[in-house]
Amino acid sequence: MPHAVPLAAATRRRGQHPGPLWQLLSSAGFRFALLFAALFLLAGLAFTGVLWWGTAGALDRQIDAAIRADAMALAERWRDAGDQAVADAIGERLALDAENQTLYLLSAPSGQRLAGNLEALPQGFAPDVQWYGMSLERDGIPGEARLFVLPLPDGSRLAVGRDVEEKLRLRALLTEGLAWSAGVALLFAFAGAALLRRALERRLAPVTATAALIAGGDLSPRVPLSGREDEFEALGHSMNTMLDRIAHLMEGVRGVSDAIAHDLRTPIARARNRLEEALANADDPAALHSALERGIADLDNVTRVFQAVLRIAEVEAGARRAAFAPVDLVPLLEDAAELYGATAEENGQTLRTEWPAALPLTGDRDLLLQALANLLDNAVKFTPDGGSILLKAELLEDAIVVRVSDQGPGLSLEDRERVGERFFRADSSRNTPGSGLGLSLVRAVVQLHGGTLWFDEGHGESLDKPGLAVCFRLPLA
Amino acid sequence: MLHDAGMLPRLLLALSVMSAPSRVAFPAELRTLPQDLHYCQELVARLATLPAGVQQPARGLGEEGELLCRTGHIRTGIARLRRALRVAQGR
Amino acid sequence: MRILLVEDDAEVGRFVKKGLQEAGHTVEHVPNGREGLFMAASENFDLLVLDRMLPGGIDGVRLVETLRGQGNHTPVLFLSALAGVDERVKGLKAGGDDYLVKPFAFAELLARCEALGRRPAVDAPATRLKIADLELDLLSRTVTRGGKRIDVQPREFRLLEHLMRHAGQVVTRTMLLEKVWDYHFDPQTNVIDVHVSRLRQKLDKGFDKPLIHTVRNAGYMIRAEP
Repeated sequence: MPHAVPLAAATRRRGQHPGPLWQLLSSAGFRFALLFAALFLLAGLAFTGVLWWGTAGALDRQIDAAIRADAMALAERWRDAGDQAVADAIGERLALDAENQTLYLLSAPSGQRLAGNLEALPQGFAPDVQWYGMSLERDGIPGEARLFVLPLPDGSRLAVGRDVEEKLRLRALLTEGLAWSAGVALLFAFAGAALLRRALERRLAPVTATAALIAGGDLSPRVPLSGREDEFEALGHSMNTMLDRIAHLMEGVRGVSDAIAHDLRTPIARARNRLEEALANADDPAALHSALERGIADLDNVTRVFQAVLRIAEVEAGARRAAFAPVDLVPLLEDAAELYGATAEENGQTLRTEWPAALPLTGDRDLLLQALANLLDNAVKFTPDGGSILLKAELLEDAIVVRVSDQGPGLSLEDRERVGERFFRADSSRNTPGSGLGLSLVRAVVQLHGGTLWFDEGHGESLDKPGLAVCFRLPLA
Repeated sequence: MLHDAGMLPRLLLALSVMSAPSRVAFPAELRTLPQDLHYCQELVARLATLPAGVQQPARGLGEEGELLCRTGHIRTGIARLRRALRVAQGR
Repeated sequence: MRILLVEDDAEVGRFVKKGLQEAGHTVEHVPNGREGLFMAASENFDLLVLDRMLPGGIDGVRLVETLRGQGNHTPVLFLSALAGVDERVKGLKAGGDDYLVKPFAFAELLARCEALGRRPAVDAPATRLKIADLELDLLSRTVTRGGKRIDVQPREFRLLEHLMRHAGQVVTRTMLLEKVWDYHFDPQTNVIDVHVSRLRQKLDKGFDKPLIHTVRNAGYMIRAEP
């Protein structure tokens, strides 16, 4: 299709290199200014139109009224005193007409001129039409006449009029003035639009510049703020906040890969070592078989750690906050206690619980239960057989405080302080599967809910096993 | 924008031309009687009949008007005489 | 059961197909969504096992949505590497019946397949569940074995009820946690085991036939035969 290609190419070319007029027209700033200018122009035109009509129109009405009054007065005179009296009156009026504007004619029924300064009735005279407007020749000077013809009872006709040339000149003047002002307004509109557009561009420049830098790959620049408190400033502010958040999330993502490397390297290495060892000592199928089974278990453990790390990262990124709903902590406490109560019972441990009737807050049910489960899991694991575990929750004025206390080895004071660190895993728990990560998840969940986590001494009864109490506080509102 | 600038004066010119009354030469539909010396003298006589017509300033204007008429400026003379009449009548 | 497996990873597909066939089921395996949709719509299957991320334009979710839109109610089990809660919810909302995250233990997959594919032993809302000499009265929430009343806690009752509704099928630990406790997470230790063993002790005390059996590396099953 030889025709289609050149057309497409031409369209593409036009699109790629828009002319300056097109660029101007597609600017939002320009369009706004143009809209304002158009409205202004319309208002101005309306105003001027009304004004024009008021002056030229009033002028018309004024002239017509004067003509009519004059004609009526003369007709009165005629009724009182007849033709001659009217002729005298006309002569009187003409004698005083220094501006040379008045037109009079008294014509007999036959058409003969009786008085006045008009040669004859107008050419286009019709008996039933009273008002006339036509061209006038006055002593050789062209003009415009407004004429009123009054038929008198005896058949004569009285014509009274004025030369309205002046009025027409005024009208022309006004029109010219209007046209000029419209032109100037149009000029102002275009100029103003261009200025506005440039001003907008200038105000937006810092934002667009920063965006371009960031699109180039550097996340560090922020929109420079000028200190003025306007909408553009607000835009810059929001962009900066957004960029901070993005940077934080990217950091989180990097943190996840770091965490995965950090937490998975050991279990993967361990699994590999065991399999390698089994391969080296491959004697009987039974040993190999159990080595393979252990390998699978190790891989499952790796998967579990992986999921836990991802879950922690997900919680830390804060995405789950959007799904928060009102939840009562008491049923969660009951479920957690029941879940781990059986294990405690089996270990001969006592699980003591204490909480009020209701603990309402807003949050994620699944995450909260997992946090409680992790804590109880640790407590049951570390408390010796026959010992006791305490799960307690209380409702304060503006928060809920939960405490899980065990009788295990506890944490050293230094370890307790490290609770805020990024890769916090208590050293002593590193050998026990999953407990370190469990605490990290609890910390992430508590932080997601806007709360704080801290450690205390448990209720252990021996010096070498003082126990550990993990406490967290969740705000209510 | 260049061709926009050229358009404007043309537009304005067209507007002003359209609004001005046509002075094309075609015979007028209404004509006044020509003013002549006879009418001048009529006005002079009329002025003389008024009491204030013989006093200044009306008298001065009247004399000016009469002079203008006699020297051929009929229209101006008539206008001056009419003004004199006005002044004489106190308007 | 006739099972349709839609999975693009050749290795996983082979593994699953072999395992399911060994368990006595007929398996059709197709590698992409388009063929899967075609087969599911044109033939009768008892169960569909779908990977969520499939090549060729039709992914697992769209496949299920299309099927449900056509009025096809074959049970669907999703396999997915996408483990987030939102993904799970998305899959179930689209019409899936269960959702299993990769990597998975085959036993888990098999147990869930059988739970979905075969209707549970008791379908109609019954007031009684019975297996061998064990009887559950759902109205009065009592357990009797051999006529003798056994005291169980409410949670244990629910646990037993779930096992009995799936009598003869493997029920994994995660399934129990989901269905009996209504929570979705992987407990690090053997919390569930302790509950089951406690229940088992109560049931089997004084009787010589154990009813709740441990299926190695899989879960639990209640059945009359040993």
